[in-house]
Amino acid sequence: MKRLLPSLRAKKRYLAFELISEGPVGRSDLVKEVMYAASSLLGDVTASECDIKVLGFEDWKGIIQCSHTKVKETRASLATLTRVSGKRATLHVLGTSGTVKRATEKFLQNQTVFEPEISMKSETAEE
Amino acid sequence: MGKPKFYDFCVHAVPDGEDTAEQLAALARYFGYSGIALANHSDKLPQSRPVLPSCNEFEVFRGIELVEENPSKLQGLIGKFRKSVDVLIVHGGSENVNRAALENPRVDILNHPAFDKSSGLNQVLAKAAAENNVAIGLTLRPLLHTRGPRRVRLLSDLRANLDLARKYDVSLVLSSGAMSCFDLRSPMEALALAEVCGLEEEEALEAMTTTPENIISRNRPGPGRVREGIEVLEEGDYF
Repeated sequence: MKRLLPSLRAKKRYLAFELISEGPVGRSDLVKEVMYAASSLLGDVTASECDIKVLGFEDWKGIIQCSHTKVKETRASLATLTRVSGKRATLHVLGTSGTVKRATEKFLQNQTVFEPEISMKSETAEE
Repeated sequence: MGKPKFYDFCVHAVPDGEDTAEQLAALARYFGYSGIALANHSDKLPQSRPVLPSCNEFEVFRGIELVEENPSKLQGLIGKFRKSVDVLIVHGGSENVNRAALENPRVDILNHPAFDKSSGLNQVLAKAAAENNVAIGLTLRPLLHTRGPRRVRLLSDLRANLDLARKYDVSLVLSSGAMSCFDLRSPMEALALAEVCGLEEEEALEAMTTTPENIISRNRPGPGRVREGIEVLEEGDYF
């Protein structure tokens, strides 16, 4: 099929995020939870307008794509994520960008490794 | 205008919540907050006064969330704790408690005013809140942890209270109500969620920045303060 002209393609924003969780989490579980959180907070109609896709998730970090007019709604629905495959988790958006490349460069590379320390601490506290 | 300073005024640490004050403070700092208030419920206070972690550009305020069904006992508790805390929150939940809290100018915030079939506020209480400068607390935790009909209920209560607060000019405080590190949300996420739930952008921002700042400046008088309304602004020889 012929590819859509660039001017006709939907504009997007890319949210770089990190996941803070009690234990290791698989990509497919995260995708499921993100979509479920969005449709339960916003309703199926608005969630479909947001056009949310988890593009990549690796090593606690990843990128989520959404429509450029619905960044706020997407962030709100990401905030309501509380559990991924039964483990408590928080999704922290590091920043937004118009391209995947810029989002990766700006927010995902050279990240100071501060977070694991905290989540490990809280794990030990629970035991 | 510089970068706004965000505050989270309802965080529960051990033994009320699950994580220690240090962990909550470290995570909140990482998320970009300028301060949090540890407000444990009054029936689950630690044995000794906790040592508050402090570091530069991040402050941990001493707070308390009073839980009491009896309004006259509540007044007693307010008197008992008022001087030792920076933020005094009342956990509402019945008509009498809400009324007692909103009619007392020594209370800073009323959390969870809703009770069965009512959003917890009406025009009389909203007027009292505005007169006595008691803020209505909006907590995120219930919104995060419920789904379906229960969250619909919470949101419609929130909207009803919001309408009253706008009409009578009652201030709002947006806080996480976190019981553990996993309930904390970064300021941007909290703002986005508040906006989706019906607040205007400025209202949400004010509820996380200026209203908490006002509460602190009200409860922490400057060094020159003599009494209510009298303050020495500049030391020096006047005569």
